[in-house]
Order: sequence, then C-alpha cells, then structure tokens
Amino acid sequence: MGSVEAARELLREFPVVDGHNDLPWALREQVRYDLDARDIAADQSAHLHTDLGRLRAGGVGAQYWSVYVRSDLPDPVPATLEQIDCVRQLIDRHPDDLRAALTAADLEAARAEGRIASLMGAEGGHSIANSLGTLRGLYALGVRYLTLTHNDNVDWADSATDEPGVGGLSAFGRAVVREMNREGMLVDLSHVAATTMRDALDASLAPVIFSHSSSRAVCDHPRNIPDDVLERLPANGGVAMVTFVPKFVLQAAVDWTAAADDNMREHGFHHLDTTAEAMKVHRAFEERNPRPVATAATVADHLDHMREVAGIDHLGIGGDYDGTAFTPDGLGDVSGYPNLIAELMDRGWSTSDLAKLTWQNSVRVLGAAEDVARDLQATRAPSNATIESLDG
Amino acid sequence: MADLQDDLHTAAEVGPVDELPLAAPFPVEPPAPLSDDPDAEPLERAHALLAAHPVADGYSGLPWALRHLPWYDLELGESAVDTDVPRLRQGHVGALFCSLHLPEGLAADRAVAATLEQLDLVRKVIAAHPEGLRLARTAGQVIDARNCGRAAVLLGPATAAALDDSLGILRVLHSLGLRVLTLAGTSWASEAGLTRFGEEVVREMNRLGVLAELSGASEQTIRRALAASKTPVLCTRSAARALRPHPANLPDDLLAELGAAKGVCMVPLTAEQTGPSVRDVADHLDHVRAVAGTQCVGLSGTYDVGTAHPQDLADTSCYPHLVAELLRRGWTETDLALLTWGNVQRVLRTADVTARAAQQRREPSTAQIAELDG
Repeated sequence: MGSVEAARELLREFPVVDGHNDLPWALREQVRYDLDARDIAADQSAHLHTDLGRLRAGGVGAQYWSVYVRSDLPDPVPATLEQIDCVRQLIDRHPDDLRAALTAADLEAARAEGRIASLMGAEGGHSIANSLGTLRGLYALGVRYLTLTHNDNVDWADSATDEPGVGGLSAFGRAVVREMNREGMLVDLSHVAATTMRDALDASLAPVIFSHSSSRAVCDHPRNIPDDVLERLPANGGVAMVTFVPKFVLQAAVDWTAAADDNMREHGFHHLDTTAEAMKVHRAFEERNPRPVATAATVADHLDHMREVAGIDHLGIGGDYDGTAFTPDGLGDVSGYPNLIAELMDRGWSTSDLAKLTWQNSVRVLGAAEDVARDLQATRAPSNATIESLDG
Repeated sequence: MADLQDDLHTAAEVGPVDELPLAAPFPVEPPAPLSDDPDAEPLERAHALLAAHPVADGYSGLPWALRHLPWYDLELGESAVDTDVPRLRQGHVGALFCSLHLPEGLAADRAVAATLEQLDLVRKVIAAHPEGLRLARTAGQVIDARNCGRAAVLLGPATAAALDDSLGILRVLHSLGLRVLTLAGTSWASEAGLTRFGEEVVREMNRLGVLAELSGASEQTIRRALAASKTPVLCTRSAARALRPHPANLPDDLLAELGAAKGVCMVPLTAEQTGPSVRDVADHLDHVRAVAGTQCVGLSGTYDVGTAHPQDLADTSCYPHLVAELLRRGWTETDLALLTWGNVQRVLRTADVTARAAQQRREPSTAQIAELDG
C-alpha cells in the first residue's frame, strides 16, 4: 500500500475540505453539549466518527460543521442557534487544532498555520423559518451554507425525499437564493429534489455546492445528483462534494435498505424507529440478509463518473460523518480519507487533479461567492420580501 | 508612514502659509463657559451642557416602529417616527438603546427568530445611515462613536423569552451585539423571582457583559437580580411609584436598594409613567435622585413605542427642554453630566471589565433549565 503513504503526503499539502460533518448534532443527542463528556481532544472512536486525532490522521484541513436540526421541531431556530454555540465552543476549546473560518482567505490562513479551518453550514431551509431576516442573522453568526431542504419539503422548496410540493423553488425560494447570493452564503443543493436543483441553478448568481451528494447515474437514489445537473456545474462554477453514505452510493445497499425498511413496516414499526423492539426486528432481518458493504472503490466509481460529466474543477468531498450509521470499508471514520485518495491514485488521478478535489475547488467556490456578494451589495439593499407577499 | 510625515508640515495650496503653533500643536479649547454663566438663558445653557455631556437614551422602540414602514430615511428626517438623525443631533443624543422587545403574540410563539429579525433590522438601519448611527458593543465603542459624531446604537433590551431557556442562545445573541436583557416574563424570572436557572442566566450575562434590565420585573426578581449580579443593573423604563402608581415604576425601598447596588433607574419620558408636563418628569428625576442617589438616575426617551409624551418632550430633539428645567431647579453641571451620560457609561464600563475578568476564570456555562429547575 505505497499509495496510502503517497496519499498522506499529498494531503499534507492539499488537505481535505469536507462539506458535511454532523458532530454538533451527535454531541447534542449523546451528551447534550457536555463537551467534557465527549472531549474531541481524546480518542472518541467508541462514540463518534470524529475527533481531533482522527481528523489529523485523515488529512482534513477544513470542515463545514453542520448546524443541522430536525425539521420536525416546532421551532427550529432556537436549536440551530444552540448548534452554532456548540461549534464556537469547540473552536474556543481547541485553538491549537481548530480555527474559525468565514472566508476563502481564512481557509488558506488555516492551512498555512496547520490548523483545521472550521466553517458552519445549516442543513435545511427550515432553519430560517421562512424569514430573510433570520437568514441574514445566520450569516452574521458565521453560517456559510444553507442546504435548501432536509428530508422534508419546506414551504418554498422541494426535497428529494418528499412528495413534489411547489415543484422546485417557489418565488420566495428564488428570493432566498438571491439573498444568499447577496450575503455570500453558499447555496447547498444536497437533499433537494432535482427540480429544486435546476431552479436554484437558474436563480443563483454565485456557484452552488452539493455538500454531500454523489452520482445518480452510478447509483439510482434520489439523494444523488442527476447527470443533467452535473453537466451544468462548469457554467455555474460550483462543486459536487461526493458523499460516502453506503445507502446512497451502492446500489445493493440501496436495495437492501429498501427491503429492511419494508420489513420494519411489515412488523408495524416506523422505518427509522430505534427502540429496542424495533432494533430486534431490524437485527433479525440483518442476520437473514447480510448488509452489502461499500468500499473506497465504490466512492471512487462515483468520482470517476462525476469527473466525466462535470469535470475535475467541480468535484469535492463531503463525508457526512456522524450523520450516518454505516460507513464504507476503509472509510469508517474521518481518518479514512487517505484510503480514498490512494484508490484514486491507483486509478491514475494526477496530483493536480487530487489537489483540486481535496482543497482547491472548494476554496475557490467560497471565494467566488464572496466576490458575487460584494458586487450585489453595491447595487442592492437587503430584501424585505416575505413568503406571504411572494407565494401568496 | 513616511509619506504622512513628509506631508505633515506642507503649506496649504491656497492662501497664506499656515502659522504652525509649534509649542502647542493641539491648542486646548477653553471649556464652554456658558453653563457657568448664571445670566444665560437656561435653554442655552442646556444646549451647551448637552454638547459636552450628551444623552444616553435608555429605551427606543425604533426597530419595531420601522418594521412596518415601506420606506424611510432617517438621515434626511422621517416624520413617521419620533427618532431620526437630525432630531437626535438637535436633542444631543449620543447613545441610544434600541429595544428588541416583541409584541406579546410573537414573544410567546417564535421569540428567537423574531429577535434575530429585530437584530437584523437594527443592523440594516445602522448600515443604511453610516453618517448618523454606529453600532456600539462596549463603553469604549460608545466613546469612539461619539468622537466621530455618530450616535452610538446599543442593542437591547431584548425580552427574556428570546433565550428560549438556553444559555447557548444567550451567547449567540450576545455575539450579534445584544447588550441588555429584560428579566421578566419567563418561567425562570417570574412573579416568584429568579429560579436557580435564572441566577445562572445572570451569571452567564455577567460573564458576557450583557446587562440585566429590570423594568417590569417582579419585586422578587429585582431583589434576587441585585444580589446575584456582579455588575450594576438597569431599569430602562422606571420612574418613582411614590409620585405615580404605575406597575413599572419603582417604590422607594427598591429605588434605595437599586441605588445601594449602583444600578441606574432610567426615567421614561412618557405621560403614562411620569405625567403630562416637563415639570412632572423633573419631579420624578428629583425624587429618584433623592432616594437612589445622583449616580443612579438616567434618562429613557421611550420614543416610538406608541405612548403619549409630556408636553414639549414630543420627540428625540426635546432633551434640552428637560435639562433647562433641571437647571432652573438647581441641578449642577456635575449632576446633569451623570444623569445624561456618565451613569450609563459607568455601568457599561463596569460590565465590560467584569466580563473580561470572568472570562479568564470561567468556561461558558452548560447548565440546562431541566437540571436546575427540575
């Protein structure tokens, strides 16, 4: 495995910008933000995919920490602010390893200092509660991308995993995208319906991102990106950050998950139920039907295809660690990125290709969003639009 | 740097060569003599005094009033509200606490998001009027704004409901500039006083430098907050209950306790709380000063909240009338300087220093309301 050593060498110079990590939500759920109980300066492999030692081993140079909150909360805004507070506390507690980052220049500064640039991304339009003022508030607090939806539709945008609602973006949804452009917040199209992806690409004046999505042509799952959307990335300038979640990237795992969910429903449980009885039913199913295993090669297949369609300048990485129960072999936690890079090296990806994938493309996109924001702020005042006035 | 030095002593392009007073390059202006001149009209003296010691106005409802205006220009003058830049200048207002309080329905329903929107609105207003307004987070920034000829805008008071019972949200709102929080209307600051979580909120506010505001709080809450807070507190809208029985006005015993704790009682210029004339307001100021002390009295315009104001105090340009009345009553320049500006500055600065010290000693609190209040 000489290529893993070569991969580590490359990552020292061009570390990974990872688009999505759910550590804050894991800390909220497991220990209610008791950061001593899950001290990420120590080894947390018993509880988490993520700690500082493994981020370092994985060659991570910048992380978008997700300030995700569940979309079924009666008021998602307070919880989102608590998630932001959690990320800030993590940064304050580990100043030698983490550095708060708001701009592309901060990313480069963190790389030069050998610290992990820490950015924030909000996962789901529900976090702005149909309010552009709240959106600007999140930007002022340091949030640098908003995923337009999570697994459920919002009033102004359709999710990939919900029934069609407004058919993409509503008029207010387009106003949200424009206001994000004006602030310099990246438009994240993971989790959204293909119709929403297309509408957002039409509406956005800045490059978009997919913080954790793979290719639908390689594995037919609604969470992945169709080729016609990938084809538009060169003109838009955005990046698709490939995700590792087995049930999105491996067809056998997609089918297995569907069968497992059906099995749960047949036994009268919700498919996401994790109570003891539900898990017993689930384990019995798993004994009868071994879970298909994805590997780094599975992810590399996606990247090879996405590179064919979107081009090398429009790829990135978004592992979704601590946001998913299962991970591919070799990519079991945040220390695994070198295995993916090694796999790509074995497939003939050049150093400059890999530098774009891991670091340069994602840094470029954030900088481009800042440039667009500067231009727009010179010509446009903050929008006062409301969902009532635009969507009626 | 070298360029600047080379240019320093060049002559003006037009006109005679400047005389350079080398001995004293920055001549000290003689102090304004007017306020010492007993023959000058009180109103003139009031203007001169306020020019040196501007007003720190404890409560402005401007954000909510602007929220529903389709268009406004505070720099040019805006007749739809009581506050704009020209009138702030006429009234010698040097600092303005912008209320983030919410109407009752919103406070119960979606207080956090609505408070974020209020903060966004104030930041937008400040950004749109850079010649007149400047956001200030600390006592030092208030002075900077004044030295630049801007009215300093301080964010708060906000409603306690805006925390949604979470210290994390308190920290996040503080990072957006929140400086004052009203301790009333929640489970942890109610008629029964502060709960254990409520006291933890006060400690975290001290650690951050967010001032506790107690107008409208229950007597028990006021007493607990005075005991718990390491920095002086504010009552941003309280007059003397001995003169006018309004629930937010303070009885003499509480005024005395507030004075002992070096807090500031900021008397509102509203007909409802103080009375219909300038003299009524001055009566309240006299009373509060007598009971709480000269260092514990301040002013609160309470403009743009939809209440009636005493005659001659209709908007933010009217402070000189009030100061003139106080001059007639024999308030000294020192007393007036503390009333309009000095007391609030002292409270802000004390809170800044306390916060810096506390941050050295203490980590952010992770206390949960469920743990402490059960």
